Amino acid sequence: MSGCSDGSCSGPDRLPPGMLSKYDLDLPTADGTLVWLEVIRGPEPRFEASSLEILDKARSICEGRVFGAVFGDKELKPLYDIAFSYGVDTLYHVKDKRLVQFHPEAYCDAIAELSARIAPAAILMGATPRGRELAPRLAAALGAGLTADCTDLSADGRRILMTRPAFGGNLVATIACNGFPQMATVRPGAFPMPRADVGRKGTVIYRRYLGSAFKNIVSSEPVEAESVDISKAKILVSLGNGIRDRATVDLAESVASKLGGAVSCSRALVDRGWLPQSRQVGQSGRIVSPDLYLAFGISGSVQHKAGMSGSKRIVAVNKDPDAPIKESADVFIIGDAHSVLKELDERLDSN
Amino acid sequence: MKIVVAVKQVPDVSSVQTDDSGNIVREGIPSVLNPYCEYAVYMACRLKGDGPVTAVTMGPPQARGALLRCLELGADEAYLISDKAFAGSDAFATSKVLSAFVRTHIPGYDLILCGKQASDGDTAEVPAELACMLGVQQFCYVDEIVAGDDLRVLQNYRDEKRICVVPLRSVISVSKGECNRRLPSINDYLRAADVEIKTLDKAALGLDEQSAGVKGSKTRIISSRSSGVERSCVTIDGTNPSDAADVIIKEAGM
Ligand SMILES: Cc1cc2nc3c(=O)[nH]c(=O)nc-3n(C[C@H](O)[C@H](O)[C@H](O)COP(=O)(O)OP(=O)(O)OC[C@H]3O[C@@H](n4cnc5c(N)ncnc54)[C@H](O)[C@@H]3O)c2cc1C
Repeated sequence: MSGCSDGSCSGPDRLPPGMLSKYDLDLPTADGTLVWLEVIRGPEPRFEASSLEILDKARSICEGRVFGAVFGDKELKPLYDIAFSYGVDTLYHVKDKRLVQFHPEAYCDAIAELSARIAPAAILMGATPRGRELAPRLAAALGAGLTADCTDLSADGRRILMTRPAFGGNLVATIACNGFPQMATVRPGAFPMPRADVGRKGTVIYRRYLGSAFKNIVSSEPVEAESVDISKAKILVSLGNGIRDRATVDLAESVASKLGGAVSCSRALVDRGWLPQSRQVGQSGRIVSPDLYLAFGISGSVQHKAGMSGSKRIVAVNKDPDAPIKESADVFIIGDAHSVLKELDERLDSN
Repeated sequence: MKIVVAVKQVPDVSSVQTDDSGNIVREGIPSVLNPYCEYAVYMACRLKGDGPVTAVTMGPPQARGALLRCLELGADEAYLISDKAFAGSDAFATSKVLSAFVRTHIPGYDLILCGKQASDGDTAEVPAELACMLGVQQFCYVDEIVAGDDLRVLQNYRDEKRICVVPLRSVISVSKGECNRRLPSINDYLRAADVEIKTLDKAALGLDEQSAGVKGSKTRIISSRSSGVERSCVTIDGTNPSDAADVIIKEAGM
């Protein structure tokens, strides 16, 4: 395979980059919503939760039909009914063994072609790593406006208003697209997981991918899903650079389990190798919104706050009475992280 | 290898202050090279061999500061794309300007590097939009770039790590926000100061009023407000750990 310099990966027709005008979908008749349904691969493939959350939202706020697009082979058959039960009316299955792997260029070409057929008013996908890679490529191909990582969507007829946090969560901006299709990626967990309408019916349409925009993937390894998903925890015991003793991490684990929560951290502890990256809260980590965020020995950098500012309640324990996290906390406790954790651990035992 | 690095200047978040209502105070905040872009420049300089590394940014005249930093880090030349007509560009318009720059000024490039996202806007859209507009492959979430017989990248999708062969002329976006690189030496500073930062306007890129800026953008901001989460900031003396534990146990509803 020759790679795809000079436009050879712009799609089945091998149009040069000037092809963009071909997909001019800024049509007054644009209607319905197209959702890319991301599949978590494995022996039993399933939909990524955010895709289902979006389907339900699309059905409740957007006018017109809901279209789904999936990529893969026969293994996706059991997922058809699931797609319908969460709101898909018409499911486009781009059936190709090679597309089980994520090839953003091929996915983009195929969805652009679908869009040209169905002219949707909106195209939505989850703001997962793959969604945030595919969406901008597609937006460029379609000449569409795109809002990244939305935390809310509302509709005014076919017009969608997109809400996203800016500046580390200090501001909330509402954004609209100037034409159709309107595109957005939606933050996982922004909408509640809907209930399936079992037995709801829809149509599957098979599509073939005739292009050749495949990447040369030498190897691919699944990363074992961590047993703890900090973005789902109701209470987080979060540790920062103020934790000087490794035993304090075990203590925090014990406290977290007694509280029915999980341990998360600032980047400082990931850098030290004390906790895995999956536990990091912040701009380059995970965005969390627990009922209670307990910050021990965390100073409150802008990057860290970007990940925790959506928490319902924030309590910080810090020995520095002027630590910047004070302003972001509901309760700011001046004290030593280790001693407070130790006390908590003992007290929760006797409770 | 001829490498283009597209960079952005951002407010130095480490010194960002918020006012009483939680809004960012932008006046007087120093600007810096976006940390992710800094890493991209560092990677480009490691890979370049004998080819030049060209840093480019679109921004106001002050964005020269970011380019100077790129030069200090080892970039060989730098372009500032600055035009009033480009103000207010969204990711689409920005990518359009950058793709016009690459076509008109560095048509024979081998690789384009970007930082994963800007630490201020955080949309992470430009690398893929740029790749699409140039009709080339994109490689996002790149943790490592290895040059041997061919060029390979390690991509990290959180639930999957994969290695791909990168054809020349692709766009790579790197995920790291910092690196343990050496600090620029006196010589680096002197060399950087000698390089002329070239300034380009819309005419130099063959673009007009309609193609970028607010008019060339595909999105518009309708409103923006403070996120409004008011925190009470009650301060408690927890010198005695049991006082602290009382509060936390109550908060946790135990
Ligand atoms: C591009 C980029 C992305 C980043 N992304 C992230 C991110 O996603 N997440 C993240 O967390 N950081 C991120 N960072 C790093 C961030 O800038 C800070 O360096 C980091 O958050 C600091 O972590 P900390 O608060 O734990 O450490 P520090 O800032 O060192 O704070 C430690 C705190 O502990 C307190 N302390 C010390 N001893 C004790 C004690 N005995 N008891 C109680 N308190 C004590 C101190 O008073 C201090 O407030 C990023 C940086 C960059 C440049």
